[in-house]
Amino acid sequence: MIADRILGVVLMALGLVAAWSAMQLEVPFAADPLGPSPFPATVALVMALCGLGMVLRPVHGFSRPERLAAPPLLVLAMIGYALLMVPLGFMIASALMATVVALLFGARMAAAGVVGVTTAVALWLLFDKLLDLPLPKGILPL
Amino acid sequence: MDVFAALGGGFGVALQPGNLLLAFIGCIVGTAIGVLPGIGPLNAIALLLPFCLALRLPPESALILLAAVYYGSGYGGRITAILLNMPGEPSAVLTTLDGHPLAKQGRGGAALAISGIGSFVGATLSVVAMTFLSVPLAKVAVAFSPADYVALIAFALSLLGAVSDGPAVKAWAAGCVGLLLAMVGVDSGTGVERFTLGSLELLGGIDFTVLAIGLFAIGEILLLIETKLRAEAAKLGGGEKLSLREVIHCVPTMLRATGIGFVIGVLPGAGASVASALSYTAEKRLNEAHGKFGQGDMRGVAAPETADNAAQIGNLVPMLSLGIPGSGTTAVLLGALLMYNITPGPLLFEQRPDVAWGLIASMYIGNAMLLLLNLPLVGIFARLLTVPAWVLYPGVLALSFAGVYAASNSAFDLLLAIGFGVLGWLFRKMEIPLVPIVLGFVLGRMLEDNLRRAMSLSDGDVWALLGSPVSIVLWVMTLAAVAWPMLRGLRRVAQPSRGV
Repeated sequence: MIADRILGVVLMALGLVAAWSAMQLEVPFAADPLGPSPFPATVALVMALCGLGMVLRPVHGFSRPERLAAPPLLVLAMIGYALLMVPLGFMIASALMATVVALLFGARMAAAGVVGVTTAVALWLLFDKLLDLPLPKGILPL
Repeated sequence: MDVFAALGGGFGVALQPGNLLLAFIGCIVGTAIGVLPGIGPLNAIALLLPFCLALRLPPESALILLAAVYYGSGYGGRITAILLNMPGEPSAVLTTLDGHPLAKQGRGGAALAISGIGSFVGATLSVVAMTFLSVPLAKVAVAFSPADYVALIAFALSLLGAVSDGPAVKAWAAGCVGLLLAMVGVDSGTGVERFTLGSLELLGGIDFTVLAIGLFAIGEILLLIETKLRAEAAKLGGGEKLSLREVIHCVPTMLRATGIGFVIGVLPGAGASVASALSYTAEKRLNEAHGKFGQGDMRGVAAPETADNAAQIGNLVPMLSLGIPGSGTTAVLLGALLMYNITPGPLLFEQRPDVAWGLIASMYIGNAMLLLLNLPLVGIFARLLTVPAWVLYPGVLALSFAGVYAASNSAFDLLLAIGFGVLGWLFRKMEIPLVPIVLGFVLGRMLEDNLRRAMSLSDGDVWALLGSPVSIVLWVMTLAAVAWPMLRGLRRVAQPSRGV
């Protein structure tokens, strides 16, 4: 119940800010009769109204994860991957990320390492060699 | 006959060796992802889309591949439903009711066979209906003015609330999120930057693949990782084979289910889940006296699986003929066509007959392939379930990121996809549906462009939006679709004891 209320408030706030921001838009020259503002402003206000509806009649709560730590750890691993992909290269970054994800899904260390390396090599071969789509090489001499 | 000549041309496209191969790959991928819990057609198409773009597949080939994944998934969802009592797709929930009891009685193989035949009958008859209906429907839509289109899109969006399982405000809020995300970037009409937060990367707007992969592939893995996966070994059961008499016994059921499924599918908003539920209920009521529904009736397996596939094909009709997708997955297919600068809609059949008819022809071929694939090879697909999560999902995740990167070459898009993944996960946890976000995103630009055109034609007179009988009818229906969930909510307040 409380989660619906919080999300409702967030949607209302976002909707109002978005509507206000859309109203501020100015067109440098006289263009079409619609202009850039009315459509996004209307949609944002409808979203704020939906948020109000959720605040007034909340239904659902936030279902608590069975494993509390896993989702944030996965997000951290993915962000690290996104930041390291270009400097380290696709192969190393993917191997690291896939290993961490396999561990998070409950694999043993050695098995996770095998999964990580196999995934990275297989995808590299698929993209770079078979499909001819270049991925960042990074520090490996490929 | 025009239709036959056009369909012949379509077969010319679909029978090219490359396209045949793509349809075959799509059918295998589709069945496989239908089997795997947690990966649906939507995620798979979102994952394949960057490949199609990066490989510069022509639009008709890309569509043949992606559509085969889409209708192929309708064949896969039943396998887990029957063997493990665990629907691989939401629309296979009803299949568990009779399918799993049959498997327990040792007739899992027979249940799989009848559901495969049902899927084929439903899909193929619906493709026939689509062949004859698409062009007439498109001809009606050619006469639509921009104002009529505004009303049609508003109607499609308003239906999201009426057909959603949860509270309507949540579906509408999600639709608004999608519409606003579509506004990010430089406005095509006026050249003004909107909602870019000063970011250069967002000037060109949000890439459709980034949104779809983030929300569905990454979000789904976040959802999977927080629970411990429990899968039991799959057993096919060596009992009695399906007899011809049993198949014939199911034919009337299949025909009725095809009708229900196709009609539900063509209507915007309602999808395969509604169709399979309706047709199961209908068969159960019709055959109450001499059936054993719920304890393992063949017709109880045939009905939902036939309707499911018929509805999937039906969903494609408004997408191709009107340019209005009826479901999340067809919205992704529409997004794919838009990335190729092809606008589905009334003119598609005239301007790009190779795309429209090539797709329709390929669906005849694809469904035949699926029937052949699914009857003898069902055991191989069932074995996919024994792949442990820690092998499968790291690969899916790495594939998602590689796809995003190959399509955009930007690390920023990777971070954006992660952001959408977290958003999708949070929304799923709060029971906010994600499909309206994709629909809103795809329809957003279209809605504003048509609104802009309508306003230009009328010189800014808002009443022009109600200028034609078509638009008035559609707006009345929109109002009804908005009012219906509200009335439903009020009634629930008035009779709290009956609350569901």
